[in-house]
Amino acid sequence: MVIKRIHMEILVACLTAIAGVVVAGGSLELGVGWTDSGPDAGYFPFYVGLLLAAAGFANAVWTVIVHRGEAEVFLEQEQAMRLLGFFLPMVAFVAVTLVLGLYVGAALYLFYVAWRQGKYNPLWAAALGISFAVFLFVVFDVLFKVPLLKGPLEAFLKIY
Amino acid sequence: MGNFGLLMEGFQVAITPMHIGIMVVGVMLGLIVGVLPGLGAPNGVSLLIPLTFTMDPVSAIILLASMYWGALFGGSTTSILFNIPGEPSSVATTFDGYPMAQKGQTTRALTLAFMSAGIGALVGVVVITLLSTWAAEFALRFGAPEYFSVYFLAFCAFIGMGSSAPLKTIISLLVGLALSTVGMDTITGTLRLTFGVNELMGGVSFLVVVIGLFGIGELLMTVQDGLRFRGVTSRIDLRDVFRTIAELPRYWATLLRSSAIGTWMGITPGGPTAASFMSYGVARQWSRPGEPFGKGRPEGIVAPETADHSAGTCAMLPMLALGVPSSATAAVMMGGLMIWGLTPGPMLFATKPDFVWGLIASMYISNIVAVVLVMATVPMFAALLRIPFAIIGPVIVAICFVGAYTVSSATFDLWLVLLFGVIGYLFSKLNYPLAPLVLAMVLGHKAENAFHQSMILSDGSLGVFWSNPLVGSIMTLALILVLVPQLSRLVSKFRSRGTLRSAQ
Repeated sequence: MVIKRIHMEILVACLTAIAGVVVAGGSLELGVGWTDSGPDAGYFPFYVGLLLAAAGFANAVWTVIVHRGEAEVFLEQEQAMRLLGFFLPMVAFVAVTLVLGLYVGAALYLFYVAWRQGKYNPLWAAALGISFAVFLFVVFDVLFKVPLLKGPLEAFLKIY
Repeated sequence: MGNFGLLMEGFQVAITPMHIGIMVVGVMLGLIVGVLPGLGAPNGVSLLIPLTFTMDPVSAIILLASMYWGALFGGSTTSILFNIPGEPSSVATTFDGYPMAQKGQTTRALTLAFMSAGIGALVGVVVITLLSTWAAEFALRFGAPEYFSVYFLAFCAFIGMGSSAPLKTIISLLVGLALSTVGMDTITGTLRLTFGVNELMGGVSFLVVVIGLFGIGELLMTVQDGLRFRGVTSRIDLRDVFRTIAELPRYWATLLRSSAIGTWMGITPGGPTAASFMSYGVARQWSRPGEPFGKGRPEGIVAPETADHSAGTCAMLPMLALGVPSSATAAVMMGGLMIWGLTPGPMLFATKPDFVWGLIASMYISNIVAVVLVMATVPMFAALLRIPFAIIGPVIVAICFVGAYTVSSATFDLWLVLLFGVIGYLFSKLNYPLAPLVLAMVLGHKAENAFHQSMILSDGSLGVFWSNPLVGSIMTLALILVLVPQLSRLVSKFRSRGTLRSAQ
C-alpha cells in the first residue's frame, strides 16, 4: 500500500479549507460587524478564516486540475512503518507523562526505545533513562528553578 | 558619528566577563542544536526562552542571539561532514561542501565555510550599525496605517519572494494569523475561538507551535527516510586552516556579491534560506570558468555561507527597528522580547539604547567567538551525530516536550506539540513554507491592532491605506511584490505556448 502525493495534497488543502470555515464560523458568534468603538471582536478572524477557506479550496481545485493523474508517491509502506515506530512511542510518552510526570515519562520512554528499537541490554537502557531524568532534574529544577511536571513517584520521594 | 559613539557604549555593555561567558554558552548550545537533526535555530531559541524569563533582557538577548549564530555554524558543519543540512539555510552548502570533504579536504571545506560565514556576518553587523538609527528614525514617523502596511509588506514579500507555491504560502500565513487570534482578545476583552476549551483561553503560544512544527515535524521528516550518517573524517589540521585563510582573498568578488545578496534578503523578508540558494545560483552563473560546481568548487561553499550569515544577521535590523522580523528565528526572538516586556520598534532605540547597542556590539564579538569556538570544537560536535538514533532521537523528543512544558507549565501544550508536529511534517512534506506561519503568529496581534486603529481612524474605509504618500507607496510596493512574479510567470507560460504553436 502506498499513499500518493496528489491524494495527500488534496486532503491537506481540504483540511486547511475546513479550518478556515471553522475559524470564520467561530468568529460569526462574536459579531463580525462594527460597533461604536470600531470593528467587533470577530471582524479580523472572520475575514482571515474566510480567506483561508477560499485559499484552501482554491488550492484543492488547482491540485485536481493541474496535477491530475500524477503518480508521485507520498509515503511508501517501509517509510510509514518507520514513522509509526517513532511516532507511537512518542504518543505513549505524552500519555504516560500526564499520569506519572515528565521525569518518569522521559526515563521510561528512553528506556523503551533504547531497549526495543536500539537493541541495547535492558539494564544499560534503564541506566540511560534514569540518568537522563536525573540530568533533566538537575538542569531544570535545581539550576534554573523551572519545575517540571511531577507525578506520584516524586510525591512518594517527597521531591517538590 | 552618533552611531559610532553608541556602538562604543554598546561594547561597554557587551564586553563583561559575564556576557562573554554567556556568548560562549550560547554559541555552544547553538552548535548542538545546529548539529542535531530536529533541533534547528528557531526551535532551539524557543526551547531556551522560558529559561530566560528571570534573566536581565540584555543578557537574555545576547544568549539567544549567540545561540542563533552557533546554530548557523552548526548547520554548515553537518552539511559538509555528513551531507545532512542541520538547518534549511545550509542546504546549498552541501552541494559543494560535501564533495570537497569527500576528496579529503575536510579542513579546507570547513575553514572556507566558517571564514566566509564570519565575514558575511560581520558585513551584516556593519550594515546594522550604519542603518539602525536611520531606520528607527524613519519608523518614528509611522502611525497605525503605516505599521499595518509594513506588516502587509512582510506578508506579501513572503508570498512573492518565497520559493514555495504562492497559494501554499498564503495558506501558511493565514493559518498563523488565525492561530494568533485564539484566546482573550486584548482590545475587546472577549474570548475568541476557544470553542469551549478552557485550555485555549490563554491563546496558543507560538513557542509551542515552533517546537512542534520545527522540532517534532523535522524529526519525523528525518525518521521517514531512515538515517544514513556517512560522515567523513572530521579532524582539523591547523596548517590547512592557515593555508585556506590565505586562499580566501582570491574569492573577494564572490564574498562581496554574496554579502550584498545576503544583506538585501535579510532586510527584506527573503530570509537566509532564499539568500543562500540565490547566492549559490548567482555564483554559479558569474564565476570564471574552472572546476565545475557541485564537485567541490570553493566558490560553491563561500557563496551560500556568506549570504546565509549576512542574511541571518541582517534579519535583526527590521526586527529591532520596525518590529517586523524577516526570518523564523528572528520572529521567535521578537516574541521573546515581547515576553520580557520590551516592545520592538523605533521606541526601543530611544528608551533602551543600552539594550539595542549592547546587542549590536555583542554581535561583533559573538561572531568572532563563534568562528574560534567552532573551529576548536568541530570534532567533538561531529561525534554527536555518531550517537545511534535510538538514543539521540528520544533525547531530542524529550527535550522538545520538556521545553514546551516550561513555556507555561500546561500539560495541554504537550498535545499541541504532537498536533503541530504532525502538521509540520505534512506541511514540509508537501512544500508548505513554515516560516510565514511563525511570522504571522508573532505579528498577528500587532497587525490586527494596527488594522483596528486604522479602521477606526478612517471609519472603516480601506482608503486610509493610500491616504498619504508613505503608506500608499508601502502598500503599492507590497501589491507589486505579490503580483509581479505571478504575472511574469503567466507571461512566460504564454510565450512558451506561443513558441510551441509557431513551431508546429
